[in-house]
Amino acid sequence: MGLFDKLAFSLGLKKREANILVVGLDNAGKSTVLNHFKPEDQRTSDVVPTVGYNVEKFKTKSVGLTAFDMSGQARYRNLWEAYYQDCQGIIFVVDSSERLRLVVAKEELDIMLEHPLIKPRRLPILFLANKMDLRDAISSVKVSAALGLDRLTDKPWHITACNAVTGDGLHEGIDWLSQMIKDAVDKNAQKL
Amino acid sequence: MLISVHGMKKDEEHGGSNPYQCSDKTSVLQEARVFNETPVNVKRSTHVLTKILYLLNQGETLGTKEATDVFFAMTKLFQSNDIILRRLVYLGIKELCSVAEDTIIVTSSLTKDMTGREDQYRASAIRALCRITDASMLQAVERYMKQAMVDRTSGVSSAALVSCRHIAQHSPDVVKRWVAEVQEAVHSDNVMVQYHGLGMLYQIRKSDKLAVTKMVSKLISSGMRSPYAICLLIRIVAKLIAEEESSAGERSHLMEFLESMLRHKSEMVVYEAANAVVALSAATTTTTTTTTSRDLVTAISVLQLFLSSPKPTLRFAAVRTLGKVAMTQPAAVTACNLDLENLLQDVNRSIATLAITTLLKTGSEGSIDRLMRSIAAFLNDISDEFKIVVVEALRSLALQYPRKQALLMGQLADMLRNEGGLAYKEAIASTIITIIEDNPDAKEKGLDHLCEFIEDCEHTTLAVRILHLLGKEGPRTSRPARYIRFIYNRVILENAAVRAAAVSVLARFGAQCPDLLPNILVLLQRCMLDTEDEVRDRSTYYHAVLSTRDPAIIARCILNPPMYSLSSLERALLSYLSSDTTKAFDASCVPAAPPPAASASLSSAASSITAAISGPEDVTSAVPALQQEKRSVSMHDKYAERLAAIPAFAGLGPLFKSSAPVELTESETEYVVRCVKHTFLGHIILQFDCTNTLNDQLLEDVSVVVEEDGSNWQILQTLPCASLPYSCPGTCYVLLAIPEDIMSTTGTFTACLKFQVRDCDPITGEPETEDGYGDDYTLEDIEISVSDHVSAAQRSNFAAAWEELGPGSELEDTFALTSLSSLAEAVTQVTNFLGMQPCDRSEKVPDGKNSHTLYLAGTYRGGQSVLVRAKLALSDGVAMQLTVRSTDPAVSEVIASAVG
Repeated sequence: MGLFDKLAFSLGLKKREANILVVGLDNAGKSTVLNHFKPEDQRTSDVVPTVGYNVEKFKTKSVGLTAFDMSGQARYRNLWEAYYQDCQGIIFVVDSSERLRLVVAKEELDIMLEHPLIKPRRLPILFLANKMDLRDAISSVKVSAALGLDRLTDKPWHITACNAVTGDGLHEGIDWLSQMIKDAVDKNAQKL
Repeated sequence: MLISVHGMKKDEEHGGSNPYQCSDKTSVLQEARVFNETPVNVKRSTHVLTKILYLLNQGETLGTKEATDVFFAMTKLFQSNDIILRRLVYLGIKELCSVAEDTIIVTSSLTKDMTGREDQYRASAIRALCRITDASMLQAVERYMKQAMVDRTSGVSSAALVSCRHIAQHSPDVVKRWVAEVQEAVHSDNVMVQYHGLGMLYQIRKSDKLAVTKMVSKLISSGMRSPYAICLLIRIVAKLIAEEESSAGERSHLMEFLESMLRHKSEMVVYEAANAVVALSAATTTTTTTTTSRDLVTAISVLQLFLSSPKPTLRFAAVRTLGKVAMTQPAAVTACNLDLENLLQDVNRSIATLAITTLLKTGSEGSIDRLMRSIAAFLNDISDEFKIVVVEALRSLALQYPRKQALLMGQLADMLRNEGGLAYKEAIASTIITIIEDNPDAKEKGLDHLCEFIEDCEHTTLAVRILHLLGKEGPRTSRPARYIRFIYNRVILENAAVRAAAVSVLARFGAQCPDLLPNILVLLQRCMLDTEDEVRDRSTYYHAVLSTRDPAIIARCILNPPMYSLSSLERALLSYLSSDTTKAFDASCVPAAPPPAASASLSSAASSITAAISGPEDVTSAVPALQQEKRSVSMHDKYAERLAAIPAFAGLGPLFKSSAPVELTESETEYVVRCVKHTFLGHIILQFDCTNTLNDQLLEDVSVVVEEDGSNWQILQTLPCASLPYSCPGTCYVLLAIPEDIMSTTGTFTACLKFQVRDCDPITGEPETEDGYGDDYTLEDIEISVSDHVSAAQRSNFAAAWEELGPGSELEDTFALTSLSSLAEAVTQVTNFLGMQPCDRSEKVPDGKNSHTLYLAGTYRGGQSVLVRAKLALSDGVAMQLTVRSTDPAVSEVIASAVG
């Protein structure tokens, strides 16, 4: 990082940039979550299943984020790992109304956490218990229990219930994530 | 964007002419890590991606792992909105998608681009998308493709339509569902979109004749704006007419359309229509007259107008099409002769060449002189390929107008003296040789020209070929002595291969011209001091043979040397070495080299000549078409090996001859059986190749039962085929002993296929029943004729061989072949019947003659050579006087009696 950049950061003139990875099972609502962060005029009214991945950029209060919206369909899940290397944060979206597939989500989460590119890093992970408005949705506490998050001690994580269609709860979560990323980046900058 | 262009410019200045010249794969792949940087480094990524694309286009290949790594790194570049970088990414996707795995990952990114607002991206994104989409993914993109096809932007719509065609290759069914959108595109205002739309629509409808007809008639009546689309429509219409399945009324309607298009305002359309009319008239001259001569005349007059067009492309197209017409209907093009002659001065040499070849085809005998002069004028400016075209045209001209051959020969000789590559020189030489063969009067003149040519010829193969020709034709000319100087000059001046060939030719002169013999002996003696082994060996050998002055030995060793099939000789020698070597090697059981089938095609197949002159060995004189020989020899060897592998046939000795397969059933029957007759010294093996075409039957214990009418033949053994499942060919054999009495070695056998049937499941082929039932199936009769005992043999000098055999065993008989009406027919019949090889080009019957003499040579089963002279005369049928000579009187008798 150049001297000018450092100066710009410390004066708060330039925003920090970070990549985040958005993963989760198919139909969890990943693309819808990201759609919500887009400027009003660029939102699409109908969200279709993602094939492969999409890149979206949006800004929060403290950092600019580039989100890699991965496809959640079973045949594409093995492609997630291609993007592990250079992400600074992960959003894991769970459909909280679909209890049956929570075990599948847990399995995918465990595989991801065991990956050599993820395991040693202190990556902040934001869990979004989506579709909380649905009648048979379970609470975020139950979701965290089902995913076994209590055993996840080596990474900062946060779970929040949300509704991606209306945007309820999303900002709380993303503020937490951007704060974590900002802290990590600043710490790195100090080290340098 | 500006920055990146600027940056690249700087790089270019820095690195000289090509900044990507010395980049190597590994380092570039290392550099590709830059793609992963956040935020994207546009300038460097652009540069590295360009390097990768450069490498791929230079022919560098990436492994699957490498390609996948690069591909995924590249996908991260979608973050950037730089236009140049994005377009490079599209190119990268298209290049890598065939190698990399999981390319499906970019589908969503591409669909986003193709539906996005940036028009710059959309067309390219569609093209990239269709490359990575496979059949299973099509549904995800179907909606977008349909939208894109009817997009307002013409580029996007064209891209979608063309991509559609690519998709149609692997999943035509899906594309068929898009027909409404395609149809809308056909009515677009944009010329390109209309063209692509029509192409796609035709692709969809192609298999359905009725739909195509309907589409065409609708489009004809509605009229289209795009000239490209009209050209395509013309092609479709021409195809419809050529297929001749539509009714006469429709066809005339279509022809009317073509005719009206001859007056279209776009030149492209006019040319396409003229080309279609011309092609149709060429294709249908014989069968139905769909194109009237009036249409053809109109088309040709349109082309004639193009001949004087200022645009070289139009002139070229027109003259090329006229050249094609001239092949079949020279008279139709005569009207354009004047314009064509003007084109001879055209600055574009390709046009001039085509013009001259067309003129040569249409020209009358009178105009040849003038044409020759203009050819000579411009021949120096054109490339070798065009020169060869001209030479080919001259050759056909020479065959057409024999009276002009002297003039053409002079022209060819001039061309031979000029500069040119091997292919060109060869084309000329073989044209001269064709003329020599065609016209005996031109022989001496042609030989003179060729002699002069080899005085200064740097191509070894060509020199050897001409020397060989001299050896064949020279001794029979009026003054053979004059060629000796040319030949001996070769011995003094040329390289070893040519020297060796020259020595062989000298020997042939010595053998056939007794008055030259003393001089030849002196020359050969000098050759014995040559530095090259081969040359010394040959001269010593020939000198020794010629000094005997014994015509029989000379004839056997020089004029008609034994010509064994080399591979068979090798096999025979190997088996001799492994057996008892106290006895002398018996060469008579080695089959002779199958005579080159090319003697007739020699004149036409100039290409096979290259293969012919393979080296200085004397044997090459026997194999003008090496490739053909290879094929038939390998067949013989294949049979021999297969039979030798069967223990029951081990003691039969070497295989003498295998016949061509004979069908014993109709091709569409339940069981298809073919018979191949293998002749050995004392036995014949009948090999039956059977195929079962019933999928609900399994045949077991299949054998063929043969019975002879008389009782001369003894059936020694029958080898059945154990099982014959559906469509798997099987083979069974019958071994026959050839009767002692040489006169009864022919016969007719009735044949019957005997087998056990087991019904089975048609799909799995598993038999359903435990036991089968017996059944049989009558086959057509098998004939063992004289030709099965005789193999064709080559005699390069029939007369000498004839004299050598002497009249001791001569037999003569006269026959009337009343069923035949022409000499040529008689020649083929007799040749096929006896299975012998025509010599001295006697299989070609000159036109307009009433009598002809056919010379045949062959080898009988036991190794006895047989020669046949058949004098044929045309008189109410064909009368034939057959004279047979052989080393064995009994063989002569067999052959003579065979015809009767």
